[in-house]
Amino acid sequence: MIRAKRKTGLVFFPAFDWAISPTHPEREERLLYTQDQVMEEGLLDVPGIREYRVRPAKYSDLQRVHFCVPDEPSMATESHLISAGGCLVAADAVMKKEVESAFALVRPPGHHAMKVVHGNRGFCNINIEAVMVEYIRDVYGVKKIAIVDTDCHHGDGTQDVYWHDPNVLFISMHQDGRTLYPGSGFAEENGGANARGTTINIPLPPRTGEKGFLYALEELVMPLLEKFEPELVINSAGQDNHFDDPITHMNFSAKGYAELNARLKPDLAVLEGGYSVEKALPYVNVGIIMAMAGMDTSTVKEPGYDKHYAPQAPDITDYITNLMGTLKDQFLINPPAPHPAKNGEIITTSKRIFYDTDMINENQDERLVRCRDCAGALAIDSHSSKGNKMMGVHIPKDACPMCQKMAEKWVNEALDNKKFHHIFLQDRTKCTYEVLR
Amino acid sequence: MILGLDVGGTQTDAVVLEDGHVRAHTKTVNRPELLETLGQSLDKTLAGIEPDKIQRMVFSTTMATNAVVMDNMDPAGMIVSAGPGMNPEWFSVGPSYHVVEGCMDHRGTEVMALDKSQVKEAIREMEKAGVNACGIVCKFSVRNPHQELQLEEWLGDQFGYKALGHRFSGSLNFPRRIATAYLNAALHKLHTKFISSLETTLTERGLNAPRYLMKPDGGTIRLDKSCEFPAQTAQSGPAASVMGALALDGCKGVTLVLDIGGTTTDMALVLDGLPLWVPNGIRIGEHRTSIRSLLTRSVGFGGDSEVKVDDGKKLSIGPIRRGEAMAFGGPMPTPTDAMITLGLMEEGDKDLARKAMEDIGAQLSLDAEKAAKIILEETTKGMTKAVIDFVKRINSRPVYTIHEVIEGIKIDPDRIVVLGAPAPIVAPMLEKAFNIPCVVPPHYQVANAVGAAAAKVTAEISLQADTQRGSMVIPEVGLESAIARDFTMAAAMEQAKEALFSRGLAVGADPGDQEFAVIEKEEFNMIRGGYRVGKNIRLKLALVPGLIPDCNCGGQQL
Ligand SMILES: [Zn+2]
Ligand SMILES: [Zn+2]
Repeated sequence: MIRAKRKTGLVFFPAFDWAISPTHPEREERLLYTQDQVMEEGLLDVPGIREYRVRPAKYSDLQRVHFCVPDEPSMATESHLISAGGCLVAADAVMKKEVESAFALVRPPGHHAMKVVHGNRGFCNINIEAVMVEYIRDVYGVKKIAIVDTDCHHGDGTQDVYWHDPNVLFISMHQDGRTLYPGSGFAEENGGANARGTTINIPLPPRTGEKGFLYALEELVMPLLEKFEPELVINSAGQDNHFDDPITHMNFSAKGYAELNARLKPDLAVLEGGYSVEKALPYVNVGIIMAMAGMDTSTVKEPGYDKHYAPQAPDITDYITNLMGTLKDQFLINPPAPHPAKNGEIITTSKRIFYDTDMINENQDERLVRCRDCAGALAIDSHSSKGNKMMGVHIPKDACPMCQKMAEKWVNEALDNKKFHHIFLQDRTKCTYEVLR
Repeated sequence: MILGLDVGGTQTDAVVLEDGHVRAHTKTVNRPELLETLGQSLDKTLAGIEPDKIQRMVFSTTMATNAVVMDNMDPAGMIVSAGPGMNPEWFSVGPSYHVVEGCMDHRGTEVMALDKSQVKEAIREMEKAGVNACGIVCKFSVRNPHQELQLEEWLGDQFGYKALGHRFSGSLNFPRRIATAYLNAALHKLHTKFISSLETTLTERGLNAPRYLMKPDGGTIRLDKSCEFPAQTAQSGPAASVMGALALDGCKGVTLVLDIGGTTTDMALVLDGLPLWVPNGIRIGEHRTSIRSLLTRSVGFGGDSEVKVDDGKKLSIGPIRRGEAMAFGGPMPTPTDAMITLGLMEEGDKDLARKAMEDIGAQLSLDAEKAAKIILEETTKGMTKAVIDFVKRINSRPVYTIHEVIEGIKIDPDRIVVLGAPAPIVAPMLEKAFNIPCVVPPHYQVANAVGAAAAKVTAEISLQADTQRGSMVIPEVGLESAIARDFTMAAAMEQAKEALFSRGLAVGADPGDQEFAVIEKEEFNMIRGGYRVGKNIRLKLALVPGLIPDCNCGGQQL
């Protein structure tokens, strides 16, 4: 008799009635064949694997993470709420110890959605992992969490949300930003002034194969996790590194994904991208579910694997070996030095963000309190090409009195300034979100 | 007149319906031999009735279930092709199980052909093992049955009956398909023999009307046709009860059906006359199958459940049944003894019942009446908890579309129909606990037999069309045909209806009965490289469980 060695929860939500547009990669058909494969394999009958019903997230769940401009209803449709809600169901299952791990196999994805949301970026509106992480922190009091993003695209949204948070270790393994959307995710991007070294980027070259991914995992990801000692590990499980994916150029496989998850042993996994809907997703998902459940995955592979999978080329292996040497030095041997600014100093930065799906440009001016006692108060002055001008003030969890005071001052200044159409205060110490204008 | 007969765990109920009325009903204690039980029940029930007056007979028997549970089945071999995925050796079943190379993908494209020499080897092994029948199952055979048909051909006439996976259910679930084919193969000879003996028994008594067997999905199948699907007649008892509730009560609104037996209480839900199904299939013994079944749940509370006091203070009821109630000569106190002690039931030996309650009472420092009251309260509490849990589980079933999440109706029973001997006693207690009407219909003691008598034939088919591949498959009827690129849902619906009605006719449905339900209807655009290259259409239709016209009166006449 087969049995899951680790009790595993599955939240499956293929959203068979939702698409970005009729021919978009993010469409109704995307998880159809995954469902076929999961059902035909009989995975849901395996003792120890339990399927859960989704529930929609509430707007208040999104408000722990985002500043939605102008408001949540116009940025998050029912599909986004259900996808995020699926992650919350998975989180509950694990945190209540009904299962040892859970996989939210949901769509639409979320890892390109940043803290401020004016529209859709890279198929994402709402950062479903971040919504899950903040929920877990508020409801279950967990402090230190690691997110390992294994999607082929840089998880720039999740990076943005946790840029200043020293208690969330964000590691993204992805196809080098010089060769793929969103064009970011370089090793120099290693966290904000109060959170140096808790953002880690591993830009892998195109054509990285099973060997390269597993090497990066063993050499860098696992040691970083060991050092950080998170209470929970989350896999942001995009599947577009697959050799058959139509919009990327990597050389990963179902076997590889299964092996990666067997070694990483995430407490929670959340589906991100993956657009080879027929030749990859069905097998990758089966592999991940079985690996999370601690089952033997040696018989899992794509039907065309033996014919179509070419092992990683030697030049790629050399490149990755070198790269890991450099990154290990940067992050493990000589970790980034703390930001030089004095305690209480205000650090200002500016950035431009492009929303590819909705063709929106956004300009942000950010102020952060350099703080050694907390993640630092944050004020984001954002205006988009749609004309919306917003001020969002964020008070982090466990904020120190100095940062709380500064946030209060920023809010009052904003209220005196007529230029803002919207003013929001996200106070994570009180778990509140106030729409002040 | 119609005869309905339901063989239960310890006794057999039978009824004769005439013009929609119950003309006769009997209970017979089971004999060791099933046919003997059937004969006795027939003779008792039909006393004084001319055999040629019987126009229809329906039997719900325990033959298949008992054979599976006791593992009295015939040795059946299995040939399986799987391709990548879960290790097919994990689903090994029976004395001679063989995995051969070969692979079909989810679209029904053959990725790897079968290897004849491996199949020959498997055949030799099965011969050595002395198997009488063979199950043949390939992964994704419901999308393309080609490999199963190929194996059937290669096996030739060697093993007599061959159970091809795709014929039993169009649903995706390879391990369940294996179990289902195996059980059908392993039961075939036994079942065929049983049917022939039953035919003889009936003919001897001059009973020549059409004969049917009850299935767990609340429907029936013609007796002779059941030999092709023997496992589909297992565990039909709970379904017979639900159909009985439907015939006797009508089950309007959201009705919870509770059938209180000796050992267990079975529960089911009926939504405006339509019983709920299990999503994948029934479990028989240790085998999870893809055999369609009504959604029923058994809990270990019945009239004869053993009552005892643990650790000198904790009252425990069930789930074991040691025998009858003490009032009927049984060995242990039971809830039935409590009912008799409180004067709620006329039958049985009052002194023995009271003695049982005094015994329990003594351990709890209570008198007999107090003990009896507490036992009934606890029994009701247990049932109430089980019902709440049952409904909660149904409401937490996964759904896959936004529409279903947003519109998802929450099932909340607004009435309860109680069946079984203790129904009139338990109903008022449940009414108090749930604060909704609790109905005890007439003939509540033999509702299961009434349900068997009144249930009509059911059938189900699944259609999958893939316009890019240019193919359409309806596995249950063995239909595979080419379709044009512009094939539509409307055309699929026509094909599916035709297949469903012909399947229905083949298993004994009334030609006039063309009432069907759409179980699943989905249509996907297949996009490759930004362009639409085809459509993927999925349809599932069923002749759903219902009542034959004579009995479809919402319990007005019965
Ligand atoms: Zn991606
Ligand atoms: Zn601070």
